Amino acid sequence: MLADRAHREGFFVFEQGMEMKLTRRQLLRNTAAFGAFASTGFPHIWIKNADLASAAAGEIKVGVLFSLTGTTAIIEESLNKATLLAIEEINAAGGIKGMKIVPVVEDPASDPATFADKARKLVVGDKCVSVFGSYTSASRKAVLPVFERQNNLYWYPTLYEGRECSKNVIYTGAVPNQQQDEFIPWLINKFGKKFYLIGSNYIYPKEENNYCKKLLQKHGGEVVAEEYVPLGHSEFSSVINKFKSTQPNVIFSTVVGDSVVALHRQYHAAGLDPEKMPMASLTTSENEIAAMGGEAAAGHFTSAPYFMVFQSPENEKFVAAYKKRWGADKVTHFVSEACYFQIHLFKQAVEKLAVSDITPPNIRDAVKGQETLAPQGKVRIEPENLHTWLWPKIAQAQSDGQFKILVQAKNWLKPLPYAAYPGQVCSEKGLVVQN
Amino acid sequence: MMQPKSIDPISRHRPSAELVAILLVCALVIVAPVLLNNDYLLNKVARYLVLGMLAMSLSLSWGYAGILNLGQAMSFGLGSYAMAMTLKLKTVPVHTGPQGLPDFMVWNNVTQLPWFWWPFESQTFAIFAGMAIPAAVAAALGWFMFRGRITGVYVAIITLAAMVVLNLVIIDQQQYTGGFNGITDLAQLELFGIAFDAYGRSTYYLVAICMTGALLGAYAFTRTKAGLIIQAIRDHESRVRYFGYDVGAYQIAAFALSAAIAGLAGMLYTIVMEFASPTFLGVQLSLSVVVWCAVGGRQSLLGALLGAILVAGVQGALSESATFLETWTLVMGGLFVLIVLFLPKGLAGLVSSLWTLARQRSFRPFRSLHRIGQTEGGA
Repeated sequence: MLADRAHREGFFVFEQGMEMKLTRRQLLRNTAAFGAFASTGFPHIWIKNADLASAAAGEIKVGVLFSLTGTTAIIEESLNKATLLAIEEINAAGGIKGMKIVPVVEDPASDPATFADKARKLVVGDKCVSVFGSYTSASRKAVLPVFERQNNLYWYPTLYEGRECSKNVIYTGAVPNQQQDEFIPWLINKFGKKFYLIGSNYIYPKEENNYCKKLLQKHGGEVVAEEYVPLGHSEFSSVINKFKSTQPNVIFSTVVGDSVVALHRQYHAAGLDPEKMPMASLTTSENEIAAMGGEAAAGHFTSAPYFMVFQSPENEKFVAAYKKRWGADKVTHFVSEACYFQIHLFKQAVEKLAVSDITPPNIRDAVKGQETLAPQGKVRIEPENLHTWLWPKIAQAQSDGQFKILVQAKNWLKPLPYAAYPGQVCSEKGLVVQN
Repeated sequence: MMQPKSIDPISRHRPSAELVAILLVCALVIVAPVLLNNDYLLNKVARYLVLGMLAMSLSLSWGYAGILNLGQAMSFGLGSYAMAMTLKLKTVPVHTGPQGLPDFMVWNNVTQLPWFWWPFESQTFAIFAGMAIPAAVAAALGWFMFRGRITGVYVAIITLAAMVVLNLVIIDQQQYTGGFNGITDLAQLELFGIAFDAYGRSTYYLVAICMTGALLGAYAFTRTKAGLIIQAIRDHESRVRYFGYDVGAYQIAAFALSAAIAGLAGMLYTIVMEFASPTFLGVQLSLSVVVWCAVGGRQSLLGALLGAILVAGVQGALSESATFLETWTLVMGGLFVLIVLFLPKGLAGLVSSLWTLARQRSFRPFRSLHRIGQTEGGA
């Protein structure tokens, strides 16, 4: 009978039958449970902070929006940490014109809807003058309407596919031309012209590959296969069989997240040789290598503007401070470095403004053309498209989990978010299409 | 002819009380903008109301019809995408100019608007489709399940699997659906000359009116003859079948009605959030809806609705307080365990128990609490 009832009501059966006569003890128990629930309540709903000025009482409020829980929490936590480290350093050195930067940290839980919700809270509720956040493109796309509608400013540290031209986002990560312009010809020279393109199935790998194919055409390379696996895919044996049958000279990988770890491990286990058929990645950083183990990563190549082993006084200071603050086993990588230096760019922009002028649009105008000595070298915000001039580097992963830098650009490289699309230029007026 | 009292022990003393409570909540929702003079909070409350509507729609199928739909977010997502598609077609794409393709299609080298996007040029069609498509999908799914007399845990598994399949298709077919990023950069909805800005009062009122309508409509449905038969099916399916009722037809109807309400909620969610994402028909959201219903009380439409608002509100508040930033998921988990252990019928069950107790004897809270305190201390 009991099982029958459970069967009918679905497997969430919390009770059997209704107690018509409640004892007081039961009632008390019930009320206490409700009280515990309610007292954690809605404190913030009743607090109105509409009258907070942007820089009231010697404080500058900024939002920090990286997932601390959920699927991308592992990588985003390191971004949160790099951001907080930079803020703490600036505050310890006296802040900005004597005003402290107050970070409002929110956890968007790796969920686009929560990202949008928290972004609203930071922009409309807390009146932050800027928000630093996002790792995935999906989360950036989700918060974009908030920043555009409210004319606020979002600082996005991740390398991404380009093809975006917003007046309300400062992009401090690399766009395709900054990762590939040097990388592709170098790979063709060193290994050969046959490329296997493998990526996760979403917009970022598709756009990177669109650009890669243009470069291959220009430099005499060829595509032997182009393949996309679902996000989070972890079974690569059929892919590895195709590597074996097509025998490419280079495997160009834009696989992301946990799939990076699975692909490297299975490649290693299949006994393929990185000397003959290396993987060339735009997404494998020290962080992913820490997850897969140095053995699986050794011998493969990554192109990025920053590596933890890069030798510069600024980087030594950054790595030492990061380890001191967050633990000696922690690694820095090309996204956390951007998180770190973009706070310094923010500081420089705010310093240029009078206290009464500290608003998101003014910060945006002030940051145009700003330069700072970042761990990777001197970087600059391009006034036209609000992306960043960066220093491309090519490095080979070593079995100790670090990289060895093989090639460093002699000049910083201008960001061209529409590089793959001739006739389209991102300018200060927005996207210009010349037909 | 069946009377409500013969079906659900709770409703014996609740019909009028529940209606009064529903009307009170509806009135509160309508006057809230006067009390909350803050656009950000209004926007937030509007979002909670939409989630409340979603939970209420599940309560209709789970609490009243006994059909545990673990894929309730599928209907929600379908509605959300229907609205996003029509709003996307109203934007002027930068790359291709007016009448051009949506941006993500250009990125994916699509040259022509796919056929299933054509009808969404009409906003009227989209609003209709936002409810009709989820209802039709649910009816089709229901036809297979209930005609085949599938019940219980299998219904839960089938509905969950159907949702996961749709979710994967949407992520995979990114050239037509925007994939993982969803459909973003939308125009504002305009109805009868009113533009619905996500941060404005107009949107809040739109949500409030739809929610009120859906809640009253669903409540009215549960009091109709069909509504009573559905509750009877929940309590004893075979007995109702022996009476000669077409059990499957009633189940399909309840299932489809619940999906239509979820679809309406999904459309509103797109307007409030200004995008549609495959996470709107994700497993996480769908299971959250079940939790909201359990917290609020699944056998009460109002309870489920308030449960969703309360849980979403507490979740927001916890994750936004510096103290709980690292531990808020743990705290939420603990609270759910407490609710399930001590409030098996949810908060609506608690209110109902209090009501019963108050009617059993004259309720003198202070004296009784004092006495309870003594006995507890003595024991």
